Amino acid sequence: MTDPTPDEAPIATAELPDAIPRVGPTPAAGDLPPGAGGAVLLQVTDVVKHFRGIRAVDGATFAVREGTVTSLIGPNGAGKSSLFNAVTGFYPPDRGAVTFAGRSIFRKPPYAVARAGIARTFQLTRALTAMPVIDNMLLAAPHQRGESLAGALFPFGTRAREKQLREQALELLALFRLDTKADDYAGTLSGGQRKLLEFARALMTEPRMVLLDEPMAGVNPTLGRELMAYMQRLRTERGMTFLFVEHDLEAVMANSDQVVVMAQGRVIADGTPDEVRRDQRVIDAYLGGAGG
Amino acid sequence: MSEVVATAGAPVADVDEDRRLRDRPLLITAAVLVAVSLALVLGEGLHAWGQASVNGLVSGSYVALGAVGLTLVYGTLKLTNFAHGDMLTFGAYAALLGKVTLGLPFVVAVAFGMLVSAVLGLLFELGMWRPMRRKGAGAFQLMLMSLGLAFVLRYGIQFVAGTENKNYGIDTTAVVTILDLRLARVELVVMIVGVVLILATAIILARTTLGRQMRALSDNSSLAETTGIDTGRIVSVTWLFAAGVAGLAGVLAAMAANSFTPEFGFRLLLSLFAAVILGGIGNAYGALVGGLLIGLVQEWSTLLVDANWKIAIGFSVLIIMLIVRPQGIFGTAGRV
Amino acid sequence: MHELLPLAISFDFFNGADFWVGVGVLAGIYTVLTLGLQLNVGFTGIQNFGQIGFAAIGAYVMALLVSDADWSFWLAIPVAIGFAVCVAVVLGVITLRLRADFFAIATIAFSEIVRYIAQNARGLTHGNQGVQDYVATWRSFSRDVRHDVLDGIGMGGVEFNQMPLLIVTWIAALLLLLLLRHLTKSPWGRVLRAIREDEDAARAMGKNTLRFKLQSLGIAAAVGAFAGILLALQTPNVAPDNYLPLYTFIGYAVLILGGLTSWWGVAVGALIVQFVLEATRLIDFGLTESQTSSMRFIIVGLVIILLVAFRPQGVFGKREEMVLGD
Ligand SMILES: Nc1ncnc2c1ncn2[C@@H]1O[C@H](COP(=O)(O)OP(=O)(O)OP(=O)(O)O)[C@@H](O)[C@H]1O
Ligand SMILES: [Mg+2]
Repeated sequence: MTDPTPDEAPIATAELPDAIPRVGPTPAAGDLPPGAGGAVLLQVTDVVKHFRGIRAVDGATFAVREGTVTSLIGPNGAGKSSLFNAVTGFYPPDRGAVTFAGRSIFRKPPYAVARAGIARTFQLTRALTAMPVIDNMLLAAPHQRGESLAGALFPFGTRAREKQLREQALELLALFRLDTKADDYAGTLSGGQRKLLEFARALMTEPRMVLLDEPMAGVNPTLGRELMAYMQRLRTERGMTFLFVEHDLEAVMANSDQVVVMAQGRVIADGTPDEVRRDQRVIDAYLGGAGG
Repeated sequence: MSEVVATAGAPVADVDEDRRLRDRPLLITAAVLVAVSLALVLGEGLHAWGQASVNGLVSGSYVALGAVGLTLVYGTLKLTNFAHGDMLTFGAYAALLGKVTLGLPFVVAVAFGMLVSAVLGLLFELGMWRPMRRKGAGAFQLMLMSLGLAFVLRYGIQFVAGTENKNYGIDTTAVVTILDLRLARVELVVMIVGVVLILATAIILARTTLGRQMRALSDNSSLAETTGIDTGRIVSVTWLFAAGVAGLAGVLAAMAANSFTPEFGFRLLLSLFAAVILGGIGNAYGALVGGLLIGLVQEWSTLLVDANWKIAIGFSVLIIMLIVRPQGIFGTAGRV
Repeated sequence: MHELLPLAISFDFFNGADFWVGVGVLAGIYTVLTLGLQLNVGFTGIQNFGQIGFAAIGAYVMALLVSDADWSFWLAIPVAIGFAVCVAVVLGVITLRLRADFFAIATIAFSEIVRYIAQNARGLTHGNQGVQDYVATWRSFSRDVRHDVLDGIGMGGVEFNQMPLLIVTWIAALLLLLLLRHLTKSPWGRVLRAIREDEDAARAMGKNTLRFKLQSLGIAAAVGAFAGILLALQTPNVAPDNYLPLYTFIGYAVLILGGLTSWWGVAVGALIVQFVLEATRLIDFGLTESQTSSMRFIIVGLVIILLVAFRPQGVFGKREEMVLGD
């Protein structure tokens, strides 16, 4: 990544492109009291996912309200990524219930969950390295008639949509300072840039909610802060909902309305950052985990 | 409270694994075998069933021995080796060379064939597979190279030996009758030698340090690496073993068929894969059992349909197994 | 052993022009066959090793409909292709959820099962004898083309017997090549490439990947079946031994030579491979016939090994879009 020059505007203050949809209630900036938000958007109830001999997720229950930022923390192996995978359909859960915007997405295939409005990133980045950056972005856009065989065969009318998507994508890429790389293969990006690309690509799906698995890992600290700031703006200005896994507790406490703590597959605490910080079980889980 | 990155809370150990029937594949397999046998005995008679079973053990024994190397190489190196069938051919022709050209006694010629095959397997590892792995070649890349190697081997053999049918000049007319079951004497020899070798192979894998290390590496290579096994050496041994046993299986197959061409090993390849997948890919014992099962299923099928179908029946078993239980009889559920 | 190369022109017919026309026809047929592999392997990342099975289905259904059910040749062609697509969809639904190497093995098994059915369901397929009575319509069409068109340009002679087939094969090959190229440049093709790169990422972006993979396999089956029909016009005999897995593997040689993801590479690769396979007949190496034919395949094998090892993007493939490797 070319280092951002100081006079260049950081992402947080750049204009949000129209590419990003306005979803849910759109409270004015600053109006939102921490922990509030709209109605429950994602409800996870008693979800169990086990692999042979391992209960990766062991009866997790929590809710995420629309228009909030919720973080999911816990020691390594707590089951955070597995929970993401269970919610998004990559590991169909064994038991429990998952609803999104009032509809069940329990054991729905990943593509259906994505179409319902949940975008996600992966802990290990999944940039499509042998495709140009711009194609990574365009791919993510929904409602493309050109993706049907008929649309591919007779592309009349799909060209306009393609052009519009391209503009959207470039705007988004500009926001993450990846626009100069648009035509490069994604394989040429650095690890941090790939994380950004994944985030941008998730936004391209016009999501109502975004799940981020360790978005700051491997990203340089300045960029990481900008990423968080950008997430806050999307929430306040567009009403987008976020659930993110992160090990950087400083970032977690500073940026979340709600913190869900997992250990050994269970939710052991759930509350505002202040509440969670004081919770004895959380302290035990972390210290106990570190000790054992 | 910042940057508290704790390390692993150990996975919840004991889980009330449902003891459903599905989780007892061995039991199911045994039950199916008994049920099928019973049905065949009742429908076709004890004698017909016995005869088919004996025939099945004959072909099953060389399929099992051919499959064990294929599965170990896959388990250890994640290499889907399309050239493995042609290693059987190579062994058969090397033994022929020993017997006819070098004038060795047959038993010595067989040992010679086995040895030459083992060495060839090691040479491919050192000259081709290891450098490719060092270059970071992907699984598909290696699979395609094995396809190319299969061509070179098969047609290399054909270049030297020609396309005519060959045989070891063994008396094949002699017939033995045991318990009213008729069997050509060579077939009996193949079956006995095959079963003994299967047991020997199983014992080598179970009892010797090298055997245990090979299985460890094949079952879980990352685990084996962390427990300090010299993987480079074990991989070499695995190749020697896999190719050597393949060569031997080739001789047995060639003996049982009585006449063979440079194509016979390749024609067996899918049956070997069927055995491997039936037993659970990467699992050496599984391949041995899977091989015998494929042999039995193919021969039993001849009681019901024309014998020409038996090979296709074997392939159908392969596809059905992939649908029903891709991890095989002995495999544990994973991503398959 | 049976004649090694049922795809080859036998020596009896050998004489200058006819020989080269025959080589051209086979190269065209391999182009069509391999276009399907390119779509699957190069663009979708599904390792279809059963392509010759679809060719067999196309050829058999067409030949049997014409010879045993008295269908019109022209009607039998689309029906045969459609049937192959249906089989591909069923096969795909069953096997596409398997991991890559198991899918590869399952598809070889499929093509072998097709061949065994052709061999053993004698009542339906005529067994090893094969089917012959389907070429009349094509023959008269071919004769017309020779008289009405080729005569005028001095190519009406008997040595240009296969000229109409050559023309039809290559026109079809080029049209299909352009069509597939057009399809894969679309957003549809973009999804296929994403699946090739990382299926989970594509699913996370809301793509129903199974559907796309089925479409890819179905199209491969269609062009494969068409290649089988063209082959049936070339031989002209539809028999089990024309559909050995060997021919799928040769398709892979064509694919690797031309380069994964390169559409024009398929045509060039097919020409080169056919040239190697056939033109070596013209050179006297002082070897027996069996040795010469063995040598051809040794060369094919070596070319596969060396290309995959040292130039995995093939002759025309893009390094960055390399499908093989890492
Ligand atoms: N596909 C899988 N197969 C078997 N076990 C798995 C699989 N995925 C996860 N696990 C196991 O489930 C448990 C939870 O893993 P998970 O990746 O969800 O933890 P995590 O909280 O995301 O940890 P980290 O902070 O290290 O990312 C671990 O013990 C892990 O080994
Ligand atoms: Mg994780």
